[in-house]
Amino acid sequence: MEVAPGEFLLAKLDDVARWAQSSSVWPLTMGLACCAIEMMSVQAPQYDIARLGSEVFRASPRQADLMIVSGRVAQKMAPIIRRLYDQMADPKWVISMGACASSGGVFDNYAIVQGVDTVIPVDVYVPGCPPTPDGLLYAVTLIQQQIRQGGRGGILARA
Amino acid sequence: MPSPQTPSVGGTALDPTSLRPPIDDAEIERCEPNMLRARLSALRDAGATMLLDVGAVDYPEREPRFDVVYHLLALPASAATVAEVGRPRRIRVLVGVAGEPPRVPSVADLWASADWAEREIFDLFGIVFDGHPDLRRIQMPDDWEGYPLRKDYPLRGPAREKTPRPAFALKSNVPAGTPPSGAVAAALQRQIAKARGQEPPA
Repeated sequence: MEVAPGEFLLAKLDDVARWAQSSSVWPLTMGLACCAIEMMSVQAPQYDIARLGSEVFRASPRQADLMIVSGRVAQKMAPIIRRLYDQMADPKWVISMGACASSGGVFDNYAIVQGVDTVIPVDVYVPGCPPTPDGLLYAVTLIQQQIRQGGRGGILARA
Repeated sequence: MPSPQTPSVGGTALDPTSLRPPIDDAEIERCEPNMLRARLSALRDAGATMLLDVGAVDYPEREPRFDVVYHLLALPASAATVAEVGRPRRIRVLVGVAGEPPRVPSVADLWASADWAEREIFDLFGIVFDGHPDLRRIQMPDDWEGYPLRKDYPLRGPAREKTPRPAFALKSNVPAGTPPSGAVAAALQRQIAKARGQEPPA
Protein backbone atom coordinates (compact mmCIF):
# COMPACT_ATOMS: atom_id res chain seq x y z
CA MET A 1 0.00 0.00 0.00
CA GLU A 2 1.27 3.41 -0.84
CA VAL A 3 0.45 6.52 1.12
CA ALA A 4 0.84 9.75 -0.81
CA PRO A 5 2.08 12.95 0.89
CA GLY A 6 -0.72 14.51 2.87
CA GLU A 7 -2.60 11.24 3.30
CA PHE A 8 -2.57 9.12 6.43
CA LEU A 9 -3.75 5.80 7.83
CA LEU A 10 -5.52 5.07 11.08
CA ALA A 11 -4.77 1.80 12.90
CA LYS A 12 -4.54 0.40 16.36
CA LEU A 13 -0.96 0.41 17.63
CA ASP A 14 -1.37 -3.21 18.70
CA ASP A 15 -2.23 -4.29 15.19
CA VAL A 16 0.64 -2.38 13.66
CA ALA A 17 3.07 -3.82 16.17
CA ARG A 18 1.81 -7.34 15.54
CA TRP A 19 1.98 -6.83 11.80
CA ALA A 20 5.59 -5.66 12.10
CA GLN A 21 6.50 -8.46 14.47
CA SER A 22 4.90 -11.16 12.36
CA SER A 23 6.71 -9.89 9.27
CA SER A 24 10.15 -10.18 10.82
CA VAL A 25 10.28 -13.55 12.55
CA TRP A 26 13.99 -14.20 12.66
CA PRO A 27 14.91 -17.87 13.03
CA LEU A 28 17.76 -19.22 15.07
CA THR A 29 20.31 -21.35 13.24
CA MET A 30 19.35 -24.70 14.76
CA GLY A 31 20.07 -27.28 12.06
CA LEU A 32 20.68 -30.62 13.76
CA ALA A 33 20.53 -33.18 10.96
CA CYS A 34 19.29 -33.78 7.43
CA CYS A 35 16.15 -31.65 7.92
CA ALA A 36 18.55 -28.73 8.08
CA ILE A 37 19.23 -29.22 4.36
CA GLU A 38 15.54 -28.61 3.64
CA MET A 39 15.64 -25.66 6.01
CA MET A 40 18.54 -24.23 4.03
CA SER A 41 16.69 -24.69 0.77
CA VAL A 42 13.82 -22.72 2.28
CA GLN A 43 16.23 -19.86 2.58
CA ALA A 44 17.54 -20.30 -0.97
CA PRO A 45 15.95 -18.44 -3.92
CA GLN A 46 13.69 -21.26 -5.08
CA TYR A 47 11.52 -21.13 -1.95
CA ASP A 48 12.79 -17.81 -0.61
CA ILE A 49 11.62 -17.47 2.96
CA ALA A 50 12.53 -13.77 2.60
CA ARG A 51 9.01 -13.35 1.20
CA LEU A 52 7.83 -13.88 4.78
CA GLY A 53 10.54 -11.71 6.29
CA SER A 54 12.28 -14.65 7.93
CA GLU A 55 15.43 -14.88 5.85
CA VAL A 56 17.75 -13.60 8.57
CA PHE A 57 19.00 -16.74 10.28
CA ARG A 58 20.67 -15.54 13.45
CA ALA A 59 23.59 -17.26 15.07
CA SER A 60 22.80 -15.65 18.41
CA PRO A 61 19.72 -16.60 20.43
CA ARG A 62 19.48 -13.00 21.66
CA GLN A 63 18.54 -11.86 18.16
CA ALA A 64 16.20 -14.70 17.25
CA ASP A 65 12.41 -15.04 17.63
CA LEU A 66 11.91 -18.50 16.22
CA MET A 67 13.73 -21.76 16.82
CA ILE A 68 13.38 -24.25 13.98
CA VAL A 69 14.49 -27.54 15.51
CA SER A 70 15.41 -29.35 12.31
CA GLY A 71 16.73 -32.82 12.94
CA ARG A 72 17.01 -35.50 15.60
CA VAL A 73 17.84 -34.22 19.06
CA ALA A 74 20.62 -36.19 20.72
CA GLN A 75 20.55 -36.58 24.47
CA LYS A 76 23.75 -34.58 24.58
CA MET A 77 22.16 -31.78 22.53
CA ALA A 78 19.01 -31.49 24.66
CA PRO A 79 20.47 -29.33 27.45
CA ILE A 80 22.08 -27.09 24.83
CA ILE A 81 18.74 -26.62 23.07
CA ARG A 82 17.08 -25.82 26.40
CA ARG A 83 19.77 -23.28 27.20
CA LEU A 84 19.51 -21.60 23.80
CA TYR A 85 15.72 -21.50 24.15
CA ASP A 86 16.06 -19.88 27.57
CA GLN A 87 18.47 -17.33 26.13
CA MET A 88 16.04 -16.26 23.41
CA ALA A 89 14.18 -13.07 24.24
CA ASP A 90 10.42 -13.26 24.79
CA PRO A 91 8.17 -13.59 22.87
CA LYS A 92 9.60 -16.65 21.15
CA TRP A 93 8.28 -19.48 19.03
CA VAL A 94 9.41 -23.01 18.23
CA ILE A 95 8.86 -25.11 15.12
CA SER A 96 9.56 -28.82 15.49
CA MET A 97 10.58 -29.78 11.97
CA GLY A 98 10.28 -33.38 10.87
CA ALA A 99 9.53 -36.75 12.43
CA CYS A 100 12.70 -36.95 14.51
CA ALA A 101 12.36 -33.59 16.22
CA SER A 102 8.66 -34.22 16.83
CA SER A 103 8.78 -37.80 18.11
CA GLY A 104 12.22 -39.30 17.75
CA GLY A 105 11.25 -40.69 14.37
CA VAL A 106 12.93 -43.94 13.46
CA PHE A 107 15.51 -43.43 16.19
CA ASP A 108 13.80 -45.26 19.03
CA ASN A 109 17.06 -45.66 20.93
CA TYR A 110 19.07 -44.54 23.91
CA ALA A 111 20.83 -41.66 22.20
CA ILE A 112 17.90 -39.66 20.79
CA VAL A 113 15.36 -37.56 22.67
CA GLN A 114 11.87 -38.85 21.80
CA GLY A 115 10.45 -35.50 20.74
CA VAL A 116 11.91 -32.06 21.39
CA ASP A 117 8.67 -31.10 23.18
CA THR A 118 10.01 -32.98 26.20
CA VAL A 119 12.66 -30.26 26.42
CA ILE A 120 11.07 -27.03 25.15
CA PRO A 121 7.47 -26.02 24.32
CA VAL A 122 6.66 -26.41 20.64
CA ASP A 123 4.23 -24.19 18.69
CA VAL A 124 4.06 -25.95 15.34
CA TYR A 125 4.95 -29.51 14.39
CA VAL A 126 5.85 -30.11 10.75
CA PRO A 127 5.40 -33.78 9.76
CA GLY A 128 7.63 -35.39 7.16
CA CYS A 129 10.95 -37.12 6.80
CA PRO A 130 12.10 -34.60 5.85
CA PRO A 131 9.19 -32.17 5.44
CA THR A 132 9.05 -30.36 2.13
CA PRO A 133 10.26 -26.77 2.16
CA ASP A 134 6.64 -25.80 1.47
CA GLY A 135 5.69 -27.52 4.72
CA LEU A 136 8.19 -25.45 6.64
CA LEU A 137 7.04 -22.26 4.89
CA TYR A 138 3.48 -23.09 5.88
CA ALA A 139 4.60 -23.60 9.47
CA VAL A 140 6.14 -20.13 9.46
CA THR A 141 2.88 -18.67 8.14
CA LEU A 142 1.07 -20.43 10.99
CA ILE A 143 3.45 -18.74 13.42
CA GLN A 144 2.67 -15.42 11.71
CA GLN A 145 -1.05 -16.07 12.09
CA GLN A 146 -0.55 -16.75 15.79
CA ILE A 147 1.32 -13.49 16.19
CA ARG A 148 -1.30 -11.46 14.29
CA GLN A 149 -4.03 -12.96 16.43
CA GLY A 150 -2.17 -11.91 19.56
CA GLY A 151 -0.69 -15.30 20.44
CA ARG A 152 2.36 -15.25 22.65
CA GLY A 153 3.67 -18.66 21.76
CA GLY A 154 2.86 -22.05 23.21
CA ILE A 155 -0.21 -22.63 21.04
CA LEU A 156 -0.15 -26.06 19.47
CA ALA A 157 -0.74 -26.36 15.74
CA ARG A 158 0.10 -28.84 13.02
CA ALA A 159 1.49 -27.60 9.73
CA MET B 1 56.55 -60.91 10.66
CA PRO B 2 54.14 -62.96 8.56
CA SER B 3 51.27 -64.34 10.56
CA PRO B 4 48.42 -66.77 10.02
CA GLN B 5 45.19 -65.13 8.94
CA THR B 6 43.05 -66.92 11.45
CA PRO B 7 44.65 -67.06 14.88
CA SER B 8 42.16 -68.07 17.54
CA VAL B 9 41.84 -67.20 21.17
CA GLY B 10 42.50 -70.10 23.55
CA GLY B 11 40.95 -72.58 21.15
CA THR B 12 37.40 -71.36 21.80
CA ALA B 13 34.81 -72.01 19.14
CA LEU B 14 33.22 -68.64 19.85
CA ASP B 15 35.96 -66.62 18.21
CA PRO B 16 34.45 -65.32 14.97
CA THR B 17 37.87 -64.47 13.57
CA SER B 18 38.44 -68.22 13.25
CA LEU B 19 35.45 -68.53 10.94
CA ARG B 20 35.57 -65.28 9.01
CA PRO B 21 37.33 -65.30 5.67
CA PRO B 22 39.95 -62.58 5.20
CA ILE B 23 38.18 -59.49 3.87
CA ASP B 24 41.23 -57.61 2.65
CA ASP B 25 44.95 -57.90 2.38
CA ALA B 26 45.62 -57.05 6.02
CA GLU B 27 47.89 -59.24 8.09
CA ILE B 28 45.85 -60.20 11.14
CA GLU B 29 47.53 -61.23 14.32
CA ARG B 30 46.53 -61.76 17.91
CA CYS B 31 48.45 -60.48 20.88
CA GLU B 32 48.38 -60.87 24.64
CA PRO B 33 47.63 -57.67 26.60
CA ASN B 34 50.96 -57.74 28.43
CA MET B 35 52.81 -58.03 25.10
CA LEU B 36 50.69 -55.43 23.31
CA ARG B 37 52.82 -52.34 23.72
CA ALA B 38 56.01 -54.17 22.84
CA ARG B 39 54.42 -55.65 19.73
CA LEU B 40 52.86 -52.39 18.58
CA SER B 41 55.98 -50.32 19.10
CA ALA B 42 57.95 -52.98 17.21
CA LEU B 43 55.48 -52.69 14.34
CA ARG B 44 55.70 -48.93 14.47
CA ASP B 45 59.49 -49.03 14.33
CA ALA B 46 59.22 -51.49 11.45
CA GLY B 47 57.32 -48.91 9.39
CA ALA B 48 53.69 -48.97 10.54
CA THR B 49 53.76 -45.22 11.08
CA MET B 50 50.02 -44.72 10.85
CA LEU B 51 47.36 -45.90 13.26
CA LEU B 52 44.22 -45.70 11.14
CA ASP B 53 41.73 -46.62 13.81
CA VAL B 54 41.19 -48.49 17.03
CA GLY B 55 38.05 -50.54 17.33
CA ALA B 56 36.48 -52.85 19.85
CA VAL B 57 34.14 -55.83 19.68
CA ASP B 58 31.98 -57.26 22.44
CA TYR B 59 31.56 -61.04 22.58
CA PRO B 60 29.38 -61.40 25.70
CA GLU B 61 29.69 -65.19 25.94
CA ARG B 62 33.40 -65.35 25.39
CA GLU B 63 36.31 -65.06 27.78
CA PRO B 64 38.04 -62.65 27.34
CA ARG B 65 34.90 -60.73 26.55
CA PHE B 66 36.28 -57.87 24.47
CA ASP B 67 38.57 -57.58 21.50
CA VAL B 68 40.41 -54.34 20.92
CA VAL B 69 41.52 -54.05 17.30
CA TYR B 70 44.37 -51.84 16.08
CA HIS B 71 44.38 -51.01 12.37
CA LEU B 72 47.86 -50.10 11.24
CA LEU B 73 49.13 -48.86 7.90
CA ALA B 74 52.76 -49.03 6.79
CA LEU B 75 53.31 -46.44 4.10
CA PRO B 76 56.49 -46.91 2.07
CA ALA B 77 59.10 -44.57 3.49
CA SER B 78 60.77 -43.56 0.25
CA ALA B 79 61.38 -44.31 -3.44
CA ALA B 80 58.85 -47.06 -3.92
CA THR B 81 57.46 -48.50 -7.10
CA VAL B 82 53.93 -47.58 -8.14
CA ALA B 83 52.77 -51.03 -7.15
CA GLU B 84 54.18 -50.60 -3.66
CA VAL B 85 52.54 -47.21 -3.22
CA GLY B 86 49.24 -48.61 -4.37
CA ARG B 87 49.29 -51.47 -1.92
CA PRO B 88 50.65 -50.26 1.41
CA ARG B 89 51.07 -52.93 4.04
CA ARG B 90 48.10 -53.23 6.37
CA ILE B 91 48.38 -54.85 9.77
CA ARG B 92 45.55 -55.61 12.15
CA VAL B 93 46.39 -56.48 15.75
CA LEU B 94 43.71 -58.00 17.94
CA VAL B 95 43.99 -58.17 21.69
CA GLY B 96 41.55 -59.95 23.96
CA VAL B 97 40.62 -57.91 27.02
CA ALA B 98 39.08 -59.39 30.16
CA GLY B 99 38.07 -58.12 33.59
CA GLU B 100 35.65 -55.50 34.85
CA PRO B 101 36.48 -52.83 33.98
CA PRO B 102 38.48 -54.33 31.13
CA ARG B 103 41.94 -52.79 31.07
CA VAL B 104 44.44 -52.51 28.26
CA PRO B 105 47.58 -50.35 27.98
CA SER B 106 47.20 -47.12 26.02
CA VAL B 107 49.22 -46.45 22.89
CA ALA B 108 48.43 -42.73 22.77
CA ASP B 109 52.13 -41.97 23.23
CA LEU B 110 53.05 -44.07 20.18
CA TRP B 111 50.43 -42.61 17.81
CA ALA B 112 48.62 -39.35 18.47
CA SER B 113 45.63 -40.69 16.60
CA ALA B 114 45.09 -43.25 19.36
CA ASP B 115 44.03 -40.48 21.75
CA TRP B 116 40.46 -39.91 20.57
CA ALA B 117 40.02 -43.45 19.28
CA GLU B 118 40.75 -44.84 22.75
CA ARG B 119 38.47 -42.27 24.32
CA GLU B 120 35.68 -43.39 22.01
CA ILE B 121 36.16 -47.04 23.00
CA PHE B 122 36.24 -46.07 26.65
CA ASP B 123 33.04 -44.09 26.11
CA LEU B 124 31.08 -46.78 24.30
CA PHE B 125 32.56 -50.04 25.68
CA GLY B 126 33.94 -49.04 29.07
CA ILE B 127 37.39 -50.38 28.29
CA VAL B 128 39.97 -48.53 30.36
CA PHE B 129 43.22 -47.58 28.63
CA ASP B 130 45.96 -47.45 31.24
CA GLY B 131 48.29 -44.50 30.73
CA HIS B 132 45.94 -42.51 28.51
CA PRO B 133 46.57 -38.78 29.08
CA ASP B 134 42.91 -37.70 29.10
CA LEU B 135 40.49 -40.61 29.38
CA ARG B 136 37.07 -38.91 29.29
CA ARG B 137 33.86 -39.63 27.44
CA ILE B 138 33.96 -38.18 23.94
CA GLN B 139 30.53 -38.79 22.35
CA MET B 140 28.05 -39.41 25.14
CA PRO B 141 27.35 -36.70 27.75
CA ASP B 142 29.90 -36.56 30.57
CA ASP B 143 27.39 -37.77 33.16
CA TRP B 144 26.16 -40.71 31.08
CA GLU B 145 25.84 -44.03 32.86
CA GLY B 146 26.65 -47.28 31.15
CA TYR B 147 28.41 -48.16 27.91
CA PRO B 148 25.96 -48.16 24.98
CA LEU B 149 27.82 -50.39 22.53
CA ARG B 150 28.03 -53.31 24.94
CA LYS B 151 25.71 -56.07 23.86
CA ASP B 152 23.91 -56.14 27.21
CA TYR B 153 23.06 -52.42 27.02
CA PRO B 154 19.33 -52.00 26.25
CA LEU B 155 18.82 -50.45 22.84
CA ARG B 156 16.31 -47.87 24.06
CA GLY B 157 18.39 -47.02 27.11
CA PRO B 158 17.94 -48.15 30.74
CA ALA B 159 15.29 -45.52 31.47
CA ARG B 160 12.88 -46.53 28.72
CA GLU B 161 13.68 -50.21 28.58
CA LYS B 162 10.52 -51.14 30.48
CA THR B 163 8.10 -48.73 28.78
CA PRO B 164 5.92 -50.44 26.20
CA ARG B 165 6.52 -49.65 22.57
CA PRO B 166 3.51 -48.47 20.54
CA ALA B 167 1.48 -51.30 19.05
CA PHE B 168 2.33 -50.40 15.48
CA ALA B 169 6.03 -50.71 16.27
CA LEU B 170 5.61 -54.35 17.27
CA LYS B 171 3.68 -55.27 14.17
CA SER B 172 5.29 -56.26 10.91
CA ASN B 173 4.32 -54.38 7.80
CA VAL B 174 4.15 -57.67 5.94
CA PRO B 175 0.94 -59.66 6.60
CA ALA B 176 1.29 -63.32 7.47
CA GLY B 177 1.29 -65.63 4.48
CA THR B 178 2.51 -62.97 2.06
CA PRO B 179 3.70 -64.66 -1.11
CA PRO B 180 7.19 -63.94 -2.44
CA SER B 181 7.76 -60.49 -3.85
CA GLY B 182 7.52 -61.48 -7.52
CA ALA B 183 4.08 -62.95 -6.91
CA VAL B 184 2.99 -59.74 -5.14
CA ALA B 185 4.04 -57.64 -8.13
CA ALA B 186 2.21 -59.98 -10.49
CA ALA B 187 -0.95 -59.83 -8.35
CA LEU B 188 -0.69 -56.05 -8.31
CA GLN B 189 -0.39 -55.93 -12.10
CA ARG B 190 -3.46 -58.17 -12.42
CA GLN B 191 -5.40 -55.84 -10.14
CA ILE B 192 -4.30 -52.78 -12.13
CA ALA B 193 -5.27 -54.46 -15.36
CA LYS B 194 -8.63 -55.44 -13.88
CA ALA B 195 -9.26 -51.90 -12.69
CA ARG B 196 -8.46 -50.57 -16.14
CA GLY B 197 -10.68 -53.17 -17.74
CA GLN B 198 -7.76 -54.67 -19.65
CA GLU B 199 -6.79 -58.25 -20.28
CA PRO B 200 -4.77 -59.40 -17.22
CA PRO B 201 -1.10 -60.15 -17.99
CA ALA B 202 -0.10 -63.79 -18.08
